[in-house]
Amino acid sequence: MALDAMEKTLRPPEIPLKSYPAKVITLASGEKMVVREARREEVGALLGTLYPLFGVAKDFYDIVAVRMYSEILGWYRYRVANEFVLVGTIDGVIAGLVTSRHVTPKLGMSLHTLTIKRGFRVGAQLFAAKMEHHLEILGEDEVYIVAESPNGFKRWMIEYQLEDRSSLFPEVRHELGGVPTYVLTRPLWDAVRDVKCTGVRPVSAQDLKSSEKLIMPSEYPQIPGFKR
Amino acid sequence: MIDFSMYDQKEPKIAAYKCLKCGAIYYPAPMVCSSCDARRDPVTGKGWETFDLEGPCTLLSWTRLWNLPEGYSKKNMLFGIVEFENGLRASGQLEVDDPKTGMALHSTVVESDERPGDPVNVFVFTQ
Amino acid sequence: MANVGIVGIGHTKFGNSSEYDLSDVLAYAATDALEDAHFLARRKEVDQVIVGNMASGLFCHQSAVASALVSRMDMEPVPAELVENGPASGASAIKIGYMAVASGMADIVLVVGGEVMRKVTGWVGTDYVATMLHTDAEYNMGLTLPAFGGMFTRMYMERYGLTERDLALLAVKNHANGAKNKYAHIQAPCTIEAIADGPDASVVNTYVAEPLRMYSTCPVSDGAAALLLVNMDSPKAKGFPKRPIRIAGIASATDTHCVHNRKDPLKLDAVRIAAEKAYAMASLKPSDISFAELHDAFSILELAISEEVGFFERGKSFLAVRKGETDIGGRLPINTSGGLKSKGHPVGGTGVSQAVELVRQLRGEAEKGRQVLDPKYGMAVNFGGFGNNVVALICAKE
Repeated sequence: MALDAMEKTLRPPEIPLKSYPAKVITLASGEKMVVREARREEVGALLGTLYPLFGVAKDFYDIVAVRMYSEILGWYRYRVANEFVLVGTIDGVIAGLVTSRHVTPKLGMSLHTLTIKRGFRVGAQLFAAKMEHHLEILGEDEVYIVAESPNGFKRWMIEYQLEDRSSLFPEVRHELGGVPTYVLTRPLWDAVRDVKCTGVRPVSAQDLKSSEKLIMPSEYPQIPGFKR
Repeated sequence: MIDFSMYDQKEPKIAAYKCLKCGAIYYPAPMVCSSCDARRDPVTGKGWETFDLEGPCTLLSWTRLWNLPEGYSKKNMLFGIVEFENGLRASGQLEVDDPKTGMALHSTVVESDERPGDPVNVFVFTQ
Repeated sequence: MANVGIVGIGHTKFGNSSEYDLSDVLAYAATDALEDAHFLARRKEVDQVIVGNMASGLFCHQSAVASALVSRMDMEPVPAELVENGPASGASAIKIGYMAVASGMADIVLVVGGEVMRKVTGWVGTDYVATMLHTDAEYNMGLTLPAFGGMFTRMYMERYGLTERDLALLAVKNHANGAKNKYAHIQAPCTIEAIADGPDASVVNTYVAEPLRMYSTCPVSDGAAALLLVNMDSPKAKGFPKRPIRIAGIASATDTHCVHNRKDPLKLDAVRIAAEKAYAMASLKPSDISFAELHDAFSILELAISEEVGFFERGKSFLAVRKGETDIGGRLPINTSGGLKSKGHPVGGTGVSQAVELVRQLRGEAEKGRQVLDPKYGMAVNFGGFGNNVVALICAKE
């Protein structure tokens, strides 16, 4: 379908992004989590996965789920430039999601990380995969990162020793609301890569097939008694 | 006469204790000397001769701690237990590139304000 | 001395109860124990309530929890006191309960142990737990309990040849047990490939305090457990629906506050002495024990404690683990509940939780797949501080 002139005007300029090569991580439980890029046509399963969490205030699930929902919708409907979504699946079921944006060839903008399956470091693995995509696949020099929850702050800012550039505000600012901006630089990534980032490539045909069709979780540890 | 000496900048030190009666040495000090059973005061130092615990020591064991408690903002820190030449042992922070059990170290003391409350003196073992 | 028996047990599902008041968590376990003994309606006939808790003042900003508990349970005017002994608070509460009955001051005692630790973040909790260390010589240096766990593990490895994979085998064993325990915090097995052998293992099973990894370190848990103790020689002991499980031996011992002041820091004297006293009291020896719950806050402690209590020669326990001797079907099953690693470790509750597991096993009430075959005697070791205050408990089926 041809785009009308107004829609063309509204759409952001796009930089074609290299795709993220899928990998598989064996979690402590022995389950295999496939980490791969989500496709545009999978937006229904992604949004349907996030929707039930809108009312979960604990650990800021509500704010992260709502923001991710809008980020993924914005990506789908061409209102955010150069966004990518990585998804972690176990037997096809979505275990966690990350969103991020390529701003310039040198700069990435980390958006959100959300974990559904708790207790197996799914969020930590997906965040590391996101940074891997920014610095190793897309070849950026640095990624701007903010934390909106104490868990996020401890995990990203301290464990990665991110550089605090909040004093450079407003010249240096993350797109998310003005909370202090931290930065993952290439030297910082190199220093943590081996202890934070893992996964095996290529993914076997069997494992790839298991994640071919995204399945919305049928239960959420965050929502006892949830029924879809 | 006002004594202003309390305002002087002091080099941080950690004291060890020697029983004035039997000569047994301790770190930290107990209330009763375990060698001669004499009552001692580990707070005021009464009954003890104190001396700075410092200098060469040997590393007995060490760890790199990744999950640091509230107050510490580093990615990880090294800690170790050392033995001094006089046989006393101490636990503290370790700052070396490649820790190995049995390595020779040197003990220094720094002031730290990472824990809640007033600043405290902390052992830092270096090469 | 009177014979003291356990006639009721209660246990909450360990995990995250951060939205619950500590008094309620304790009350769930206490009520379960009274119901198990068919004694709920007669609860005011309890002579004494003893609560084990380590740090409610820090974790929950709440004090006087024993008084709060009796009121929650409508048990006034039953006397109630709190016992605090670090992570051994639970077993110490049992010991004080035992002493109350044995002394003749009480015939029926309700012992409850519990902790709610997850109202605060993990790093604040790590700081609170570290306050049990020597203030000047350990805590102020920045040391924590996992740091001592790591240094102890390294010494053990360098002296006896233990490997990180051996520690992972313990996690696999304990998670397999915990996965079947309805009360366990983490009811999920883990595989040796995932946490030790596979290509992702070093990241998935990340270091906590080198050489200790995440799967060699217990989780931070909320939860409570409870026991109803009776004087088995008193007429009041009649009429309980389940045959009492007898406390055959209970004893504790202490060691230096500073770990560095132990002549050989790998020797856990308090464990050895507490166990020797408990064996003597029970007229038993290590080979009489059918199964054990050992305080594996760090997996290395399961090994070191199993040696100190006389199950294995010093430096040899991990060889038995390699052979599966401590599995459920092995010669001497250890941590049948999943241990602290999988069942969880609400610090003040752990000692009572271990006793509940002894009773479940001795009654034959453990879940299918983790019930030990016809056990006679179970032993529990509850380890306080970094081994400076330890309680050993032996329970008997007869």
